[in-house]
Parts: sequence; C-alpha cells; structure tokens
Amino acid sequence: MNATATSSNIKVITGNAAAAIAAKLARPEVVAAYPITPQTEVIEQISSFHASGDMDCELITVEGENSAMNAVMAASLAGARVFTASSSWGLVFMYDAVLATAGARAPVVMVNVNRETPGIIAVSSGQQDMISTRDAGWIFLIAENCQEILDLVLQAYRLAEDYDIQLPVMVHYDGFFLSYLSEGVDIPEQETVDQFLSVLESQPRRTVLRPGEKLGVGTHGILGGYMELRHKHVTAMERSKAKFDAIDQEFADIFGRSYGGQLEEYRTEDADMVLLGSGSMCGTIKSVIDEQRDKGNRIGLVKIRMYRPFPHQALVKALKGKKAIGVVDRSLAFGFDGGPIYTELKAFETRLGGAKLVSFIDGIANTDITKTNVEKMIRMTQDLADGKDVPEVTWVSYPEANKDRGGK
Amino acid sequence: MAEKKKGRLTNVLDYLKHDDPFSKGVAFCPGCGLELLLRFIPRVLGNDIVITGTPSCSAPVLLGQNRQSWHTLSYFGTLMTGAAANATGLVRYYKKAGIDNTVVCFNGDGTANDIGFGNLSGAAERNEPFIYICYDNEGYMNTGIQKSGTTPYGATTTTTPYGTVHRGKNLRRMNLGLKMAMNKIPYTATATLSDLEDLAKKLLKAKKAKERGFCFLHVFAPCPTGWGADPADTIDICRQAVKSNYFPLWEAENGKIRMTKTVKKPKPVSSYTKMMKKFNHMTEKDMKILQEDVEYEYCLLGGLSVLEAECQLPVSAEDGGEKL
Repeated sequence: MNATATSSNIKVITGNAAAAIAAKLARPEVVAAYPITPQTEVIEQISSFHASGDMDCELITVEGENSAMNAVMAASLAGARVFTASSSWGLVFMYDAVLATAGARAPVVMVNVNRETPGIIAVSSGQQDMISTRDAGWIFLIAENCQEILDLVLQAYRLAEDYDIQLPVMVHYDGFFLSYLSEGVDIPEQETVDQFLSVLESQPRRTVLRPGEKLGVGTHGILGGYMELRHKHVTAMERSKAKFDAIDQEFADIFGRSYGGQLEEYRTEDADMVLLGSGSMCGTIKSVIDEQRDKGNRIGLVKIRMYRPFPHQALVKALKGKKAIGVVDRSLAFGFDGGPIYTELKAFETRLGGAKLVSFIDGIANTDITKTNVEKMIRMTQDLADGKDVPEVTWVSYPEANKDRGGK
Repeated sequence: MAEKKKGRLTNVLDYLKHDDPFSKGVAFCPGCGLELLLRFIPRVLGNDIVITGTPSCSAPVLLGQNRQSWHTLSYFGTLMTGAAANATGLVRYYKKAGIDNTVVCFNGDGTANDIGFGNLSGAAERNEPFIYICYDNEGYMNTGIQKSGTTPYGATTTTTPYGTVHRGKNLRRMNLGLKMAMNKIPYTATATLSDLEDLAKKLLKAKKAKERGFCFLHVFAPCPTGWGADPADTIDICRQAVKSNYFPLWEAENGKIRMTKTVKKPKPVSSYTKMMKKFNHMTEKDMKILQEDVEYEYCLLGGLSVLEAECQLPVSAEDGGEKL
C-alpha cells in the first residue's frame, strides 16, 4: 500500500469476510453459493446478508460447483452482475463451465480460495488449483492480505464488466493463511463503492440474452468464426493489463489505496536482487526485506497481482538489469523442474538484461513460508548474484528434494 | 380432453397460434422426432421463449455454425453438465430485473437423465420457474448412437453392440418421468409425437404452472437413424409405444398423477419393438424381460396415480398462486 486511507471504518475481519463484504458492496444481482473448505465462510456471510435483507440479490443455493458456475455464467450473459466463490476441487468440478464462461466472454467475478488438489485429505493452502486452471482464458488476480481481497474484488468488477474487456475475473487468495486470518480491513462506504463502479453504467450496454431478441449465445464457431472469437479474446486479455493499471490508479483517487496495478514493487528501485512472489507470502517477504535493508542489503520484492494475462511487459520493466531474481512458487509445474511462475518468467530471460534466475518452491501443502525460509532464499539469490554456484531449483522446506541438485 | 370439433380428428391446429421460427431444410435426419418437437414447441408457446440447449443433434440447428442459425429464437448454447443451472441463472436474473420470460431448457436424455441429472435435480429442488423438456431418443444419437440411462433393455447401440458374449444392453432403462414426478414441483408430464394435442395442452399447462415453479416434460422422440427404423414410421412408432404402455402418457399436477390417455387393451411390447432394428436380435427370453420391465413401470405408475389421489401436494400461497 502506497497511499494512506482517507476514510476510516476499520474492522477486524477474516479474508473470507472481506471477500463477502466486497461482494455485497458491489451489489451483484445473482449469486450462486456452494460450500467448500476454506471458502465456506464467504457464502455463509453472503447468505446471512441475504437473509437479513442487507444484500438484495437472487441467491441460488446450487447442488454443486458446476451448477454455481453455469448459473452465474447464464445470468451474466442475460445481463446480470454476478458473484460466486470456490476453491480447489470446487474450481475443478466447475472447470468445463469456467472454460465456457471465458469462451462466452461472460463478465463473471468470483473468488477462489487457493487450496491444494492432490487428494481429498490435502485440505491445505497452495496455489495448485490456480495453476491447474490458469489457461482458461480468465483474468486471474492475486491478493496479498485481507484488505487487498476486498479491494481486488471491487477492482475485479470494474475490469470484468468494462465494455472494452468483457472477460471473467477470478480473485485468488491463499486458503487458511488468508481465508481464516483476521486483520484490520478498512471497509468503504456503499456510496463510495457505487461511485467507483458507476463508470460501468455510462458505458454502452453489452450484448445480452433477452426474451424476444433474436440472439444466440454460446461458443459454437468453427474455423474462421472460432479464430475470430479467440483472437478477440486474446486481444481483450492483452488490453486488460493497461486497463487494470488505470483502474488501480482510479481506485487510489477514490479510496486512497493503490497497489501498482499488474505488479506491486516493494523497495525495488535500487535493488540488486529481487524476489518475485504472489499472495500472502509477500507480507513475510516485505518484513524480511525491511530487516535486510537496515543491514544495507539491497533487496526488493516484485509481487504479481495480475497472473493472467501474464504481465511479462511489466515484469521485464521491473526486473531488467537486476543481478539476480529469486522466483517463489507456491505450486508445482509438472514436467518442469522449476515452479510455474519461474518457468514462465524464463521465457523472457533474454530481455532481463542479464539477470540470473533461480526457482524456490515453498509454502505448498500449508507449509509456512517463514522469515527463516525467506532469509535462506535471499541468501541463495545473493550467492547467485555474486556468481556462486546455486542450484536452479530449491524446495525450501523439503531438503530431501534438493539432493543431487548441485550447488553448495 | 376438450371436445373435438365436428368432422375433425384432432384440434391440434387450434394450438398452433404462432409462426414456425425455423427455416426449411434444416440439418436433421429424415423422420427426426427431435425436429418435429422442436418446431412444435414455439408454435404453441410463442416465439419469445428463450431456449437453452446442449451439444446434441439440436445444437447445430439451434445455434448453427459461424453466426448462421436456422431459426429466430433466443438461444443459449451450453454444456450438457449444467443445462438446468444455466436456465436457473437466466430465470433468476429475469426475475430480479422484472423481465417476463418463458425459458425452455431443451435437452436429450443423455443430458437430462445422465450427465446433467445432478443440476436437473437441483433445479427441481429449488423449484426454479422454467420448463425443462427432455426429448428422449434413448441414447447419445449425435455422437453416433451410444447407450444412455434411458436406452431400453436389449437395445443395441455402439456401446452395447450385438456380440457373441453380450447382446445389446443388459440393463433396464431408467424412468426419467417418474423420477422427476417424485419432486415436489407443480407440473410433470410425459408426451409424444403421435398425440400432439395432448402435447400442446401439456406445454400450455407447463407455461402456466412455471409461474409457480419447475415444470418437466418427458417427450418420447424416436430417432429413425439411430434405431434402424423407417423415417416414415416415426409417428407410428410413437403410437405403438403408447398403445403397448412402453411409453404411457400421464401428467402430475401438484404431484397428483393421472393418465391422460388410457390404453384399455395394451398391445405386447413386441408390436413396438418389431418396428426397428435395434431389437432385432432379441430372443423370447429377452423380450420377456423387456415386457416385464414395461409392465413393472406401468404398475408403479398406476399405483402412484391411485396413491397420490389421496396425497396431493399442498399448494400454499407461498408457492405463488392458484391451483391449476
């Protein structure tokens, strides 16, 4: 956070509550609700708002996540503002509809509370559900803390429903670490949120499915028609990058909080080394950076807020010329040695002005990315910057994985 | 049943108050039951209905390819897994926005009885205000005739072929109509193409009943291509299905089941099965199993119609209106 809040209505709430309150403030017309740990509190809160009349929406208590996504997709295509929430298996169970929602360009907004997906007992934090669904054609945003969850959901509506974008947006935040974490969140006034979202009402009406209007929706093109739709989708994704930066700026003007758009840069200006991370780990990384800076260690953080589309232009701009970059992944990229974000950044390695890259895998299956772990990552990134031999990939909390990887 | 006008066999034309929104020469097979049904629905219900449909034989015609479709209805082409949830999303938003609507969720038996049954069941539980119509051609015909849950005992499909060890489907069919009648919804009915006046009345009843919630129509719609039947026989196949009690016509208003066509002396099911090739291989023993299955379903239906005369679903003010 770069700016200070202009108003103050700070309440100590969980990340899930922040998501639910944000949804309420956005005034969706149709909400679909189905429970899954660690998301359940989101839909419980919304159901409570609905029951007390604080939230005037059609609440559909569906029989499964697949129906949740199908219901909000259809409502969105009919013209509704919609919301739903899920996690891990739920996201996977709705995945056909997740793809169709993107294909239909339905501006659905949902939160996904990140959780692992290797088996049913892995009820633990990790971004593997996000990675498994990253190429659905949705815009993916990632929040670091409870305040950012609330703010990002509001920003997501502006982005999804923008006439020039019209794409579904998924706001991700770490299960357990953020979903159940209580911290102070500045809850904006309804009028302020209405003002922020009112821009959408002044835009042209998007094409919607209404009785009596001779219109078919659903993606069914082949050959040329298909390519035209896909190309338009890809270009809208690309446009969403600058749009998101602009929305974040406007958010700052209205709410007094700004995060930097696609990326948040923390003490990177004169940094030799940078850690690249996302989500709740960034709070810990920032506090370690502050300590190291006091010792004269020139280290910074680049936090990915927009993960899809992949913000490679912004990343190259932020990382170019650094001596070494340590990429911290909270998930795995099967078939690649390094983590998913690491392997994606590697595609742009030649544009980074000689910066060396190293991959850290940590925080999967609810392991805590501790300050000690972050210090270790910084130390290894420093070694890389100094020209020492460092293994390309390190599982920070699981030394067994690091045998036979070389380095010291 | 209304009184027939003098000199008429049927009053069905009186129900066709709207234009046929489909063009000529659409890409259905000759004698397709689905096409007859699809053209019939908007002529009875009006051209302002919103149809949702899934990958199936209906999809190419309903949505067309590359911006061209063969009709002028509002249409939402969607996934087999979530058709009833899509219709839910539409009607909930229309309700919230105060937009009058008749949403028809139009699917085959593969979607309704198999892969999309979960969300069909959920929509029935929530009593969502739309009309779900299943055209039952007893299998996955668009993908090339595979077995579904409503494929009858003994029938050959490409996944239940005739072989030296296994001969056709060795499982009994599921009764989708009765399954849906067990939900506390205002209207459930079966219908078929040999009894179009009956179908028209049921469509109109459903349109009225959906003001109070979920309506389900199970329509028997033969597939001559997939069943190995003469396309000219489609209507007669429907007729024989009714006359043999293979597909009885009934309705359940507020849970009260009643026959809309009583067959006094039902014909043996073989009078129906002999009209197509998919049962050709069946032995006497196989036919007995199928006959008993048909009789079991009919007996269950009869029992329920007697029972539910005593146990009508109460209709409260909260259900949203008068009794039908």
